[in-house]
Amino acid sequence: MRAALVVGKYVALLAFVCFFLMPVYVMVITALKDPAQVSVARMWDLPDTVSLDGFRAVWPKLQNGFVNSVLLAVPVSVVSALLGAANGFVLSKWRFPGADFVFPLILFGMFIPYQSVLIPMVQLMSTVGLQGGLDGLILVHIIYGLPITTLIFRSYFTGISDELIDAAKVDGAGMLRTFLYVALPIAPPAFAVAMIWQFTSAWNDFLFGVMLTSTDYWPITVALNNIAGGQQVPFHQVMASALLACVPTLLVYVLLGRFFMRGLMAGALKG
Amino acid sequence: MAGIRLERVTKRFRGGVVAVRDVDLDVAPGEFMVLVGPSGCGKSTLLRMIAGLEPVSGGRIFLGEKDVTDHLPQERDVAMVFQSYALYPRMSVRRNLGFGLRMRRTARVERERRVAEVASVLGLEHLLDRRPGALSGGQRQRVAMGRAIVREPKAFLMDEPLSNLDAKLRVSMRAQLSLLHQRLGTTTVYVTHDQVEAMTLGQRVAVLRDGTLQQYDTPQNLFRHPVNLFVAAFIGSPAMNFVHAAVSGGAVSFAGTRLPAPSALSDVDRRVVLGIRPTGFSPSADNGWPTLEVVPEIVEELGDERYVIFELDAPRVDTEAVHAALEAQSADDALLLPENRARFTVRLPADVPVSVGEPLRLAVNPERLYAFDQDTGAALS
Amino acid sequence: MRRIRRWAPGLLLVAPSLLVLGIFVYGFMGWTLRLSLTSSRRRDINWDYVGAENYRELADETTLTGQRFAIDVKNIVIFTLAFVVGSLVVGFFLALLLDRGVVGESFFRGVYIFPMAISFIAIAIVWRWLLNNGTGDQLTGLNKLFSLAGLDFLQSDWFKSDSGFAIAAVALPAGWALSGYVMALFLAGMRGVPEDLREAARVDGAREHQVFWHVVRPMLLPVTMSALVILVHISLKTFDLIYAMDLKSLKIDTPALFMWFTTFEGGFFGSGAAIATLLLFGVSLVIIPYIWYSVRAERRS
Repeated sequence: MRAALVVGKYVALLAFVCFFLMPVYVMVITALKDPAQVSVARMWDLPDTVSLDGFRAVWPKLQNGFVNSVLLAVPVSVVSALLGAANGFVLSKWRFPGADFVFPLILFGMFIPYQSVLIPMVQLMSTVGLQGGLDGLILVHIIYGLPITTLIFRSYFTGISDELIDAAKVDGAGMLRTFLYVALPIAPPAFAVAMIWQFTSAWNDFLFGVMLTSTDYWPITVALNNIAGGQQVPFHQVMASALLACVPTLLVYVLLGRFFMRGLMAGALKG
Repeated sequence: MAGIRLERVTKRFRGGVVAVRDVDLDVAPGEFMVLVGPSGCGKSTLLRMIAGLEPVSGGRIFLGEKDVTDHLPQERDVAMVFQSYALYPRMSVRRNLGFGLRMRRTARVERERRVAEVASVLGLEHLLDRRPGALSGGQRQRVAMGRAIVREPKAFLMDEPLSNLDAKLRVSMRAQLSLLHQRLGTTTVYVTHDQVEAMTLGQRVAVLRDGTLQQYDTPQNLFRHPVNLFVAAFIGSPAMNFVHAAVSGGAVSFAGTRLPAPSALSDVDRRVVLGIRPTGFSPSADNGWPTLEVVPEIVEELGDERYVIFELDAPRVDTEAVHAALEAQSADDALLLPENRARFTVRLPADVPVSVGEPLRLAVNPERLYAFDQDTGAALS
Repeated sequence: MRRIRRWAPGLLLVAPSLLVLGIFVYGFMGWTLRLSLTSSRRRDINWDYVGAENYRELADETTLTGQRFAIDVKNIVIFTLAFVVGSLVVGFFLALLLDRGVVGESFFRGVYIFPMAISFIAIAIVWRWLLNNGTGDQLTGLNKLFSLAGLDFLQSDWFKSDSGFAIAAVALPAGWALSGYVMALFLAGMRGVPEDLREAARVDGAREHQVFWHVVRPMLLPVTMSALVILVHISLKTFDLIYAMDLKSLKIDTPALFMWFTTFEGGFFGSGAAIATLLLFGVSLVIIPYIWYSVRAERRS
């Protein structure tokens, strides 16, 4: 009986693996198909011959978007993390009166539906001339990324002992020097979490991207949506482009998944 | 070298909790002063106020002649050793030691000289490039001390620095601390909850309870002349024995025994709490001391001596002062089984024959009887 | 008071962030609310206040707007139910399977969570094809898979269905993306139960499933609440996924989508702002208690 349960458990686990990987399977085999083999009826069949034609065809259309997304995601992740570190440090270890009241207010910003700020945001960005290029998009991602990065660092710094900060004070360090010499050196793990989370977030965003950029500056998600929505675009190219768009974040996930997970859990406000 | 003076220092937390109430203390320059009391008595808060880590609600703090009450910790010239050592984890021992000097913008040459000197005094030379994570507990403790010493501050503040060490190590470290103080002569305020540590280390000891200073005196005076029931119960291990008694006509009686009353109570007629230390008894001898016969219930062997515990036909002394001294929340906390009778512990040399259940005659030193007011706990003799 | 010197530097350091968030979050929310009370249309934002007119129109099923919004509300309710319940069930089940430790746990966990790392656009692209409702020689996607497995009865028109429940099909890709996250939450919750408690129960004679039911399960309430709140708020915000799946289809229209269309394609800014404000209200209903509760719990510990 026990053995049957154990076997059953693994069967169930593997069944779900199939469920979760099934779309990946479809994406990969379709992307690798020769144009002639691509057909609706033969969707589930493995390619007879592996062809990189899809990738070759679609990369030129995607290249710009790819570069734009890199130019977007990297600065966003670095700057958000730095600001989040400063905020998180102050809110946990150098509190001011009302800090515990301000924090939930910041946190709420993480959960708001972007629709409720979209109109004024677009208005403002276009008024100050930041609409169309990447600058406005970068700025917006940094700003709306402040709540989650602040949360990540605040949780992290809460875990370090207060005595460490006290020791720095008695040794003669003020807030800034304590932050720079004591807090930052022990913060790399939190940086990893914040940067990876923000990178993924910025890379995968669509709504802000489509609202704030013009064709030349489309991030990859917008370029991808255009390719996929286009008429008569062969499936293998569509799948290839989707695959290409996912590569960076998947790579980050596979190599640095540990930090990704911590970012995930931070968002659940586990005290 | 600077002394520390506290004038009516008070700390009130939000929510109304008064952690420290009107404390007056005067630490002489170069003195080793210990703040002791049960947990929650305010000793750590007081220490933190001296360091500047906790703002003061009332009163003033003087470091030497300077009024530092409103100064930030960075502006005072004190060094602190924390219970958890609080070593900067990503800095080498060398940089940990030098951090305070760096913050005060001491010239690099001077800084390196001092760090090297302290490292050699504390035996840390071979550890200078290691990180705290690669050190043992004892080594970390030395680095924490070194960090304080290298600053050559006006005073050392120590917050239970030995609490994290195991018992035997603690005892040897105590001696090291005394040696260090003799060498350096820096004014030191040392906080502990362990009254043994307080007695062995302090030149003067301040006993605190619930934020109020109970008595501030040399260890000997605290032991021999406690000013109230709390101090009497707190200082000394095993704790002083107490029993409710009646004084009348120059004698004090309890549980069917009569002993001559302390001279201060010779003309008085009242009820008191009588206290006798475990060392206030001796095996019955012809020295004219009053005796009493007891039946030992428990005998604890310690090698050279033994503790003999017996019951008295009198109710247990149940006052708050006694609980607080034992760090018990309520009467029940100190007991495994409910009981109502007073129990005395007596320390006897091991060569006196004692066995459980066999009646034993003990002599009581009449000079070593203490009497306390039943309500206020104030000492009456 | 001199005490200000203690905390002023900290406040100064965070002030820019606070200012910026004050504008971009709260300022904008208020601005949108104000806009929703105007009759702005055709990109000509005016401050011609018409009170609750826009909201009335949304509620009025005799107008085109009202009709569409009614469909949206129905859709979002169905979607939320299907998505939240589905994700909770699958996530919980997966966590249950993994809790006691299995060979290759990292592998399984990695597979179940990876969808969180990819964009909803890519997810929509693949699932659009998987949920294709072609027939005959156009049979493809999941329907074809069912046919190959002999499970023809499971075939469906999915998100193109006329049943009025088309949107439930979108819960599939959404659940596919989020179930792993829910699993991670439950797993953390289950593993947060101290082993001593379980051991005490075992020594007391409880069998493994009883240990789970009596010791572990009661402690999962906070985690379940967290998961529920997060899922509901994501559900209300979902835009990219539906946009990329089939944006013009009324069958899977939701308030979030309607807001976008009515504002940026129709130019009815006032109406769009009203929908946006309603969305905000809906999200706040679950998020505010959640934040308040979390902050209180943290303060207590």
